[in-house]
Amino acid sequence: MSYALYRRGGPGLRLVTIVGLVLFVVWSAAPVVWLILSSLLQQKALIARPPDLSPANLTLDNFVTVVASAAALGRGILNSLIVALFSTAVALALGAPAAYALARLSVPRANAIAFLVLATQMLPSIAIAIPLFLVISRIGLIDNVFSLGVVYLSFNLPIVIWILRGFFLGIPAGLEKAAAIDGAGVLRTFWHIVLPISIPPLGAAAVFAFVEAWNEFFFALILTRQSAQTVPLVIAAFAGQYQTVFGQMMAAALISVVPVIVLAVVFRDWIVRGFADGMMKG
Amino acid sequence: MASQATFEQRRRSAGLFLVAPAIVVLLAILGYPILESMMLALQRVQLNAGEIQRSFIGLGNFQRLLADETFRHAALNTLYFSVAEVVLVVVLGFGVALLLNHPLGRPGFFRILLVVPWAIAPVANAVLWKWILNANYGVLNGILQSLGLIDYYQVWLGSPFSALNFLLLVDVWKSVPFVALLLLAGLQRVPSILYRAAYMDGASRLQAFRHVTLPSMRGAVAIAVVLQTIWSLRVFDLVFVLTRGGPADATVLLNFLAYRVTFNFLDIGYGAAIANVIFVLTLLLAILYIRLVRPAEGAAR
Repeated sequence: MSYALYRRGGPGLRLVTIVGLVLFVVWSAAPVVWLILSSLLQQKALIARPPDLSPANLTLDNFVTVVASAAALGRGILNSLIVALFSTAVALALGAPAAYALARLSVPRANAIAFLVLATQMLPSIAIAIPLFLVISRIGLIDNVFSLGVVYLSFNLPIVIWILRGFFLGIPAGLEKAAAIDGAGVLRTFWHIVLPISIPPLGAAAVFAFVEAWNEFFFALILTRQSAQTVPLVIAAFAGQYQTVFGQMMAAALISVVPVIVLAVVFRDWIVRGFADGMMKG
Repeated sequence: MASQATFEQRRRSAGLFLVAPAIVVLLAILGYPILESMMLALQRVQLNAGEIQRSFIGLGNFQRLLADETFRHAALNTLYFSVAEVVLVVVLGFGVALLLNHPLGRPGFFRILLVVPWAIAPVANAVLWKWILNANYGVLNGILQSLGLIDYYQVWLGSPFSALNFLLLVDVWKSVPFVALLLLAGLQRVPSILYRAAYMDGASRLQAFRHVTLPSMRGAVAIAVVLQTIWSLRVFDLVFVLTRGGPADATVLLNFLAYRVTFNFLDIGYGAAIANVIFVLTLLLAILYIRLVRPAEGAAR
């Protein structure tokens, strides 16, 4: 038996793997397939027992109705976009240099600082929500997308710092030494040498932060009223309000998740490498 | 030697310059709320005609916790939910990681399937599953009845035990992909020379798995366990949309209880006390996480 064959395993292992992969595909895809199918079926097909899947019942009406009638959804998407882009951009701009400093530059107590940054993530949102609410209402910024975006920095900054620090720790020291010998200062080295080779982890951190902000529900629930409501709030309200119009509910939910799913699928390799590696390193 | 010292000094001051803005911003957003929430936990806070009245009561709120039946119930729910979730997610995640690490599981299609549940918002996920589990028209009822596994449509979220377990199922579905990604990264870090050595020594596949794969994965699994425990303590959106804590408080987890006490009962000091209990629990887990990560890093070098 050759080594390659050994690594692949015998027919028994192949069979187990194939069965496992099939189960995995069904388990992961079935709920998503049902989400898509329900959004494309008429109400009468959905409330048949069991649901009537004949192609004659396929329709785009659910999407048309949702887009036309739910102005809240459009505003929610716009708000989520602003909040997510804002908090991701600021988190990257502040977090990337900080992560580099904590990983490579002899900042005193770098490990303790990195741990404290992570520890902020352990704080249940509920613990800081009340004081935040009191402060933000005192300065009159409740129901404002930018105050929500600033609050989102409280989790997006730690995420970015933690992912990038894991990557920066692994950069060979020779690279910085060579730059220093060539006369480049620390900031130049960071900007011209380190950042260009860090595109994948930067991308992973950006996608991660964007997805977290886009999906966040709790702070949005407490800190917005109407004009700054983000997509998850609109969907939750919609599901409460029209809970018997199943097709429209699924169409709205589908519209709300498509942007992040596209991002995650397109940048999946970055996420896999960037995030998983970041989390595995001290 | 002298130039070495200035090199280090310059790196240090540049480091402080680069790290300061992020830390200042984090402190500005979180510093006051953290201290304030600890203060609130030590106070009785009452709302009288829109005015907030606060009086210091020491550990009174925490004493109340000990005697509170609802809190005990929520703590037990959380214990069951977290333990079951961690076990299921890590075991299933490990299984998926092994599948995707096999040559047959390499195609990108499988990775696409993995990131989709991860990216779906918890709220959208909850809405989707509420529809799947619907007692009158849900597709789960439809499938099970068509297969002859149930006689009548079931109210899956209607009885306490069943509701808590379906909550668990839905969260497991969403959480497995990420842990699988984490463990897949761990599997790909196992040096292939170890497998080659096992092959040369005539070890069977199973022996190689037991004596090479499992020991090498100890660190990654430990990290996954701790992270997943922390995440399972944070579950909120799912409870809020799917069950609102019912039936009969069967799905009230600690995080949701803190929310309900604070924002529905307006018992702000008591809510803060519950939140601080969750905080301390998670912090202990975080310290454990850090201790686990350190040796894993050393071994990877």
